[in-house]
Amino acid sequence: MTDRKTLAAKQAAFMRAILDQGAPLPKGWGDSHALGLSVYRGNYRSALMSALEETYERTARYIGEEGFRTACINHAIANPPSHWTIDAAGEGFDRTCADLFPNNREVSELAWLEWTMLELADAPNSEAVTPQDFAQASASFGDAEWMGLELTFQPRAAARLVTHDMTALWKSLDEPGEDRDLRGYETPQGCLVWREGERPTFIMTSADTAQAFIAVQTGARYGDLIGLVAGDDADEAAITEAAQKAGAMLGQWLGEGIVTGFRA
Amino acid sequence: MPQELSSIPPFGGFGLGLRRPHYDDFLGPDTVPVDFVEVISENYMIEGGRQLRILEEVRERHSVILHGVSMSIGSAHGLEPDYLKRLKALAKRVEPLWISDHLCWTRTSAHNSHDLLPLPLTDEALEVVCDNIDQAQAALGRAMLFENPSSYLTFPEDEMREWEFLSEMARRTGCYLLLDVNNIYVASQNHGFSGQEYLAGLPLDRVRQIHLAGHDPSTAERPVIVDTHDREVSDPVWALYSDAMALIEQPVATMIERDENIPPLADLLYELDRARSASGVLEPA
Repeated sequence: MTDRKTLAAKQAAFMRAILDQGAPLPKGWGDSHALGLSVYRGNYRSALMSALEETYERTARYIGEEGFRTACINHAIANPPSHWTIDAAGEGFDRTCADLFPNNREVSELAWLEWTMLELADAPNSEAVTPQDFAQASASFGDAEWMGLELTFQPRAAARLVTHDMTALWKSLDEPGEDRDLRGYETPQGCLVWREGERPTFIMTSADTAQAFIAVQTGARYGDLIGLVAGDDADEAAITEAAQKAGAMLGQWLGEGIVTGFRA
Repeated sequence: MPQELSSIPPFGGFGLGLRRPHYDDFLGPDTVPVDFVEVISENYMIEGGRQLRILEEVRERHSVILHGVSMSIGSAHGLEPDYLKRLKALAKRVEPLWISDHLCWTRTSAHNSHDLLPLPLTDEALEVVCDNIDQAQAALGRAMLFENPSSYLTFPEDEMREWEFLSEMARRTGCYLLLDVNNIYVASQNHGFSGQEYLAGLPLDRVRQIHLAGHDPSTAERPVIVDTHDREVSDPVWALYSDAMALIEQPVATMIERDENIPPLADLLYELDRARSASGVLEPA
């Protein structure tokens, strides 16, 4: 086998020349190579732009052509693609938007929502636990089973806190146009994203529900959830109220078809 | 060739790429008159959802070819195990006629260009490509097809012509060839050789499929032809296709590739009929 360092070095130099317009031409290249390289550079940029436009259609509409182009360039420079699927090039675009639009948090929130919806579209199929099935299975639960109950959610379902009503903004961005429905919250609210059959969807929900959802995803049991909702130094009445709230959350998740498994 | 792989029997037919704007046509009540559909493998190397379900429904009606753009068979850093694993899983799911990719590289160890980048035509690159093909074919448990690329530059250190590279690659690895006639035309115009010379230098008995596509002609400002797949197949490409079909003795699968400015399905079926005529399967209208 020949030493592959020569080819590896040539490919690294070629890649540098594509990613960075200011990079020097690889050794031994002349005008005809520069012309050919310009085609590859153009292909790289247009493929990346197309992928980001396809993923972030609404974000692009919201911030406008120039703003979106600037965001794409910033994102591509800071995060040149490395994965075999170009869809992955959009990962972290919400953070790019957060840096670029620090006074418009709705931009990064919208980008996060679009990315999460894309991720969900190709997520593994799963079967939901129906409220009826859960009611039947949990009928014999004692306190210990309830406190130790672990839930599994749909793969890639997600929640986060947002500062603006994503439902209103999303709907107003269905079509190109100028009228945007931007409603800010006094305190952050929750946004819950999952898949209904094959269709990614989302709802606005309470901040408590979103935080509880995240906690369950990261291993919290039902008992932990009640503690989380009740807060520190909760008295008995607060714990009772928290248990009722946790029950309502569980009912909501079951009703939406987000729960795919449980273990007591 | 580290292991014996089953040969790919010739398959003569005419097909199209399955693209999103045509999903409803392919799933509608009328069967689309094609002998196969080709899909971009990476679009379906996913875990679930609508896209995968549609492919499975189309597969119930048509033979499917998996055509990849990201294997990066010419990468000096080798192949990605995760990529091969997912491709193998997809192949198991759809049982394709065959799996193809391009003679090119797309990535280094750090970055991916998502473009089909040219290889220097050197002994070193040939060894890398052959080792990678051996690895891919062993992982997939089947022989693959590799497509000749369109290219916009050649390297000062080239030691052989592209058809010589492809011939040796097929001989050493047992892989087959996907002949993109438009790419031959684009490269021949950009680099100054004849398409007929290219065809004459290939082991045509290894060809199992032909791609036909449109390109963006050169201009005074940009004296390079660019492979764009965004318009009809040009007359010089049709002529070269006829030349190829006259030289190839075994049946081959022909398809029209369209990835941009995708027209109604009827337009592509019309173009496909032109391919049937050019190959002698259908009387010219």
